[in-house]
Amino acid sequence: MAEYHLTAPLKEEDVTKLQCGDTVYLSGPCFTCRSKLQRYVFDEGHKLPFTPEDGSVLIHNGPIVVREGQEGSESAQDVPFNKYGPWKLMSFMPTSSIRFEKWGAASIRDWNLRLICGKTTMGTDTAEAMKKYKCVHVSPQSVSPLLWINSIKVESVDLFEEMGSIEAPWHFFLNELGPFVVDMDCDGNNYFDAIEEKVYENREKAYRELGIPEDFRYTRLYDNAGN
Amino acid sequence: MIKINTIEEAAFQTIRRGSTVIQEDVRNAFREAIEKETNGASRLGLQNTLKSIELAEKEDKPACPDTGWPIFYIKVGNEVEINGGMMALEEAVRNAVRRATRCGYLRKIMKHPLTGYDPGDNIGMNIPDFTYKFVPGRSIEISYVAKGGGSECFGGTRQRVVAFADGLAGIEKFVIDSFVESTRAGAICPPNILGVGFGGTANVAANLAKEAATLRQIGSHHPEPAIRKMEEDLTKAINDLSVGIMGTGGKTSVFAVNVEYAYTHIAGIVVATSSNCMVARRASSRINADGSVESLSCADWFGGR
Repeated sequence: MAEYHLTAPLKEEDVTKLQCGDTVYLSGPCFTCRSKLQRYVFDEGHKLPFTPEDGSVLIHNGPIVVREGQEGSESAQDVPFNKYGPWKLMSFMPTSSIRFEKWGAASIRDWNLRLICGKTTMGTDTAEAMKKYKCVHVSPQSVSPLLWINSIKVESVDLFEEMGSIEAPWHFFLNELGPFVVDMDCDGNNYFDAIEEKVYENREKAYRELGIPEDFRYTRLYDNAGN
Repeated sequence: MIKINTIEEAAFQTIRRGSTVIQEDVRNAFREAIEKETNGASRLGLQNTLKSIELAEKEDKPACPDTGWPIFYIKVGNEVEINGGMMALEEAVRNAVRRATRCGYLRKIMKHPLTGYDPGDNIGMNIPDFTYKFVPGRSIEISYVAKGGGSECFGGTRQRVVAFADGLAGIEKFVIDSFVESTRAGAICPPNILGVGFGGTANVAANLAKEAATLRQIGSHHPEPAIRKMEEDLTKAINDLSVGIMGTGGKTSVFAVNVEYAYTHIAGIVVATSSNCMVARRASSRINADGSVESLSCADWFGGR
C-alpha cells in the first residue's frame, strides 16, 4: 500500500497508478456537490454555472459554512450575499457517495472528473465509467472534520440562492487534505469487496459463538422469502 | 415556577453541547479501541477522529457536520410548574433549535420529504421529535440527541418479527445480519453504539432500540443478567466480524451493544436495531424548580426502566 500526495487538476497518470488500499492526500482546487445539484443538471437539464477543468476533483459533501466573522452569531445568515464571502468553514465531512450512484457515470463524463471523494463507495455503473474515463474514488478512514477544516480554504460558491448552503456547489482550495483510502481504482476494483467477503466469513463464526445452529432457518411468519 | 426563557436558554445550551462536546464515555471507548488496534491505518483513523472530537470542544464547532435529526427526550417532574405549561416548553425547545441552526451549531438539514423544501431552521412536520417520561419531582431534564443520517438511513436501523419458536437465536441472528448488511464501506460510521429493542409493538421495539443506542452510556448494562449476557455476547460477536473504523477493517466494530425489551404478544417478538454513529452526539441538562440549570453527564433515561 503506497502513499500519494496529489495536486489537482489531476493528470491521467496521477490516478492510473493508484491501487485499492493506497493512501492519498489531496491539494489544489475542488468542488462539492450533493443530489440537488446533480438532479438540477442531469435530470432537469440546467447548465452547471462553471466549467470543471480536465482532471477535476469532486467531493460529495454538504459543509457547514458561515460568513467570516459571523460564526456563533445569530445574524450570520442575514449578511448580504457575496459569492466570495469571505466564508468560514465550520465543519466538513465527506458524505455517502453511494446515494449519488444514479449520476456517477454522467458526472465523471460531463464534469471531467479524475477523482471523487466521499464516504462509503459507489456502484458498478460508476466503476465502469471510472475504467472508461480514468477516475478513482477515495473514502475517509476517520470522522475528523476539525482536522480537515484546516486543510481547506473556501474560495467561492455557486447557485447559493437556488440550492442553499448545504447543497450549493462550493469551490475549495485544498492543502494536503487527507488521509483517504483509494476504494475504487481505474481497473474496476473495489477495496470494500475484499473486506466484505472477510466480514461474511467471520459472520459464520459469530453465529457459532452465539450458539446459532448451522441449520437455523427463520419460521416463516409473513412471506415466502423466509421473513 | 420555571420561566420559559430559562427553558429556551437551557435547551439551546444542551443542543450546543450535544453538537460540540462528545461525552467522556465515548472518548474512553476511542482510547480503548486505539490501544487494541493493530492495523496502522485503522489506528490512525481512530486517533484522528478522537483528535477532531477534542478540537470540536475547544473550538466550539460541531463534532460532525451531519447534525442529524433533532430528537429530544424530556423527563418531566410530576409536580413541575412551567410558565405557560408543557406546550410552551415544546415551543421553547423549537426556538432553541432555530437559534442553534442560525448560529451554525446545527446544519440546515431537515427537509420536506417529497418536495425537498428546506425551511432553513430544522423545524417542520413532526420535527423535532419529542418523547416524554414522567418522573417524581419538580424539575425537568432535557436530553438532546443528534441522530445521524448515515447511521439511520443506510440500514443501521431496521426491524423484523421473530416467532417464539426461533427465540433468542432468531433475535441475535437478526442483530448480526442487520449490522453486517448495513455496514459495508462504513455507511453507518462504525464503530457504532448499537441499540437493540425487542418485544412490544413495532414502534415500541424501535423506540427502545433508538433510546438504547442514543441515551445509554457506553459500559452501562441492563440490570437483568440474561439481557446483560446478550449485550456482552453480541458485543464480542460483532467485534469479531472485523468491520473496523469506517468499514476498513479492525478490531473494534461496536463500542457497545445496548439491549432493552418490553413484554410482547404471544404471537411473536418484534426485534429492532438502531445504530448510533461513533461520534455519538448527546447532552442532557436538568432545570430545577428554582430556575437553576445543571449539565448532566448522563440522561439516565432507563433509570426507572
